Amino acid sequence: MSRNARRLLAALTLPALALAGAIKPHYGGEIVVRLNEPSSFRLNTASYSNLILYSLIYENFFFLAPDGQISSNIFQEYRYDAAARTLLLTPRENLSFSNGKPLTAKNIQVSLKVFLSSDLFAASRLSKVVKNVRLNGEQVAVELLADRPDIVSLLTAPELVVLAEDEQSFSGLFYPQEWEKNQHLILRANPYYAGGRPYLDRVRVTFGDSPAPDLFLAAPGQFKESCLELDSGIYQNLYLCFLQPDIGQNTKIALFSLLKRFNEASGGRYRELSSLTSDDESPVAIRIKTLSPQKTAAILKTSEIRLYALSSLSFLEKDLTAFLKATNLTIETQFIDNSEFMAFLDSAAIKYVLVDRLFQRKAPPEEKLSRILKESSFNRFNAQYLRMLSELDEARFSNSPELLTEQIARISEAIVNDGFLFPLFQRNYSLYIRRSWPTLETDYYGRPLLQRVSQAHD
Amino acid sequence: MKKAAALLLTLIALGGALGAQQQGAEALVDECAAYLAAFFQGRPDARVAVVALDDRAGLGDSGLQKLYQMLVARLEANRTIHFADLLVAVADGRAEFNLDRARELDFLVELRLVRSLDKVGLGLTVFSRLQDRVVALKYLERAIPAAERDLLQARSFAFAAMGFAKLLEFEAREGLMDIQSLPAADGTMQYYLYYPDEIVIYQAREAGLEKRFQFKLTWSRPYYPTRHPEGRLLLFRSGADLVLTAGGNFAPYSLVLTFRDGVWQEAGRVDFVPFRFVTLNGIPCLVGARWEEGRNFLKERIFFQPYGPTQPAGEGLMQKPVCAAMALDIAAADGQLQAVHAIDREYSYRMYGADLAESTPLPGKKGGALAALGGKWLALSDYRRSTDRLFFCDIRDGGLRPVYEAAVAGEVRFLAAGAWHDAPGFWAGVRQRDEDGGRLLVQFWGKANE
Repeated sequence: MSRNARRLLAALTLPALALAGAIKPHYGGEIVVRLNEPSSFRLNTASYSNLILYSLIYENFFFLAPDGQISSNIFQEYRYDAAARTLLLTPRENLSFSNGKPLTAKNIQVSLKVFLSSDLFAASRLSKVVKNVRLNGEQVAVELLADRPDIVSLLTAPELVVLAEDEQSFSGLFYPQEWEKNQHLILRANPYYAGGRPYLDRVRVTFGDSPAPDLFLAAPGQFKESCLELDSGIYQNLYLCFLQPDIGQNTKIALFSLLKRFNEASGGRYRELSSLTSDDESPVAIRIKTLSPQKTAAILKTSEIRLYALSSLSFLEKDLTAFLKATNLTIETQFIDNSEFMAFLDSAAIKYVLVDRLFQRKAPPEEKLSRILKESSFNRFNAQYLRMLSELDEARFSNSPELLTEQIARISEAIVNDGFLFPLFQRNYSLYIRRSWPTLETDYYGRPLLQRVSQAHD
Repeated sequence: MKKAAALLLTLIALGGALGAQQQGAEALVDECAAYLAAFFQGRPDARVAVVALDDRAGLGDSGLQKLYQMLVARLEANRTIHFADLLVAVADGRAEFNLDRARELDFLVELRLVRSLDKVGLGLTVFSRLQDRVVALKYLERAIPAAERDLLQARSFAFAAMGFAKLLEFEAREGLMDIQSLPAADGTMQYYLYYPDEIVIYQAREAGLEKRFQFKLTWSRPYYPTRHPEGRLLLFRSGADLVLTAGGNFAPYSLVLTFRDGVWQEAGRVDFVPFRFVTLNGIPCLVGARWEEGRNFLKERIFFQPYGPTQPAGEGLMQKPVCAAMALDIAAADGQLQAVHAIDREYSYRMYGADLAESTPLPGKKGGALAALGGKWLALSDYRRSTDRLFFCDIRDGGLRPVYEAAVAGEVRFLAAGAWHDAPGFWAGVRQRDEDGGRLLVQFWGKANE
């Protein structure tokens, strides 16, 4: 190529480079996100994957930024009236669900009541302070039992979302358009999204590696060449839970030992967990001595064990089933949908369950412990635990770190001594996005904020 | 009289001095044009364009542009060649050209200005595309004194009385989408600032605006919340009625309001966003476009809706295809449609004639926002963040001739034709970013001598 031709070529590229400074963002395009396949579109935030998926189709009342800033797309105004001890929420005018049906104050009221009646720790914290939720014209009035100027911070839970009356309407950025089981899920941009339509037209949620995902979750410290790694601060703890009081201690330890061995057999894929929350923040280390393989086999060979696991742990299914089969023990595994688990508890004599809980590293340890006690003790929750929870609350407000640490240690000890919850493993997650995409932001809960993601660099 | 005579004399004297001062630059350009004329003498119908122009002589962007324009004037007058003016912009001592058309040319001219002691040198290269080699090289030089350099470096818009100048600037609330003006019953000019949820009306004061009143706009579902609200306001008289239409990218229809009994009352809706009220074949029509709902660009259609006191609402809607556009305006003069100007989704300027056939002058010209002032002027913003620019182009002959240019601190969000007191011009909504998020400034760029 001659010098002039090269110059000409360089000059021809100038307009294209200049376009990088174009003032309007580009609308259109698709992002491919790899997540676990959901069992339904009913809200279920038990796993990190679900937390992300449902954040795309359900809109939160409020968003919490990593720096603690609170914002809302739904409300044009929210005001706490200290004299009346009431939080007044005014939804924006003319809001609609994804199918065009009106999103009104009534939907906000119902959604808040559904949340309050749920069995979540965040819901029970809120229900302790809420006296009533009523409609006040186009406003929703949340009456409180006591003066709580920080009430809005209690409404930032990721599970508090706007629900529609029918299951085909969604309040989030996207709505499901097509679901090919075991393959992919296509989400389309919600044209009525309260925060303004996203730039992307579609999200393709894949459940495998094809097509190559643009956004995905994986263990930290990988894909340095091709992706940007976002530390989500999210980790998932796995526990072995014994729901019936008549299980012998030997059987518990043997099953625990077997599962620990499962991790060893899979190459130590999961981090060992020796506390209820996280080993680096817990004042108490839980050491449960495991049994030898022979002793484990001797104890378990006469038992017929059915091990239940929540569907949010479905990533274990293949390997765990194969491992148990190889042991020649009569242990069956059964995965249950998280949303159906509570109903299952009442109808069947479930003894052994693998459960998981998702935590944000930044959340205080006492809050995590309260969640474990409230959400994972199931039918073993009793007056003793209720008292311990109240004492933990007292300790939190005492401004005494020593007292708080002591109480956390007491609760951890009580849970393990009662023998219904043994910590097993921890999974840490990073969120990866391909470098060809503009920088992605996440919220406090590590959820990607796709609303601001545009395919073209603008 | 004595004073006037003195002023006239001063102007004549100054004019003479300016003329003398520009001799160096003009002589250099004349020499260059003469050389090129001689070179192309034996090559009739040669298609020629300048494709590179660098300033290493410290003349500045303005000086470089003026020299180029002087050269263009001479080359365009040369009947033996077909000269194409491909200049898009001059920045940082270098001219940017639209090279999309380079393939249609026979000869490409590269110019470089260099400093040579107290003189300015001009290096000239002619490259033949057909022969794929440099076919001519020439070096010329002339002294350009400091005073002449100063004159070259003075920008056209520095002369407010001659070009477009910023006559007004104030800060506005975020979300402002358009500004229109109309004389009130008492003759004072009223300015309508259009936000998605309301219209705020101001009245002109000597050096600013004074708020008069405001009214809410009531939209109904389907309503498309948008991150970037965009919309157009149109004010016109139809018979005895004062009519206002307002629409945007958040609703699939526009409101039509009439001013009766001292209040604005809803008089109907139209299924697009009116940009102009014109007369087509003797029929008064609303002409406009429709935004993609919730997005920041317009669909590829222009709509025509007959409108009048006796016209049944919604009847006779017609549409014609144009490009999907990031920005669009309809030029009209004396109530007649002149042209449709658009910035397409690739940020390229496009123009459609009165018959809506595309006849884009300066293909490859890029832009961000635009607005047409009657059939005379088109304001076009650059398509850059932070350091945007405004180009004021003469569109009187159906072409697009960039005449004035102004730097704008911030990014131009919208442009609207209007008037400030007696000066016609353009309103520009300019977004400036800072650590606190930024602010929206409204500027009026007017031409006082029109």
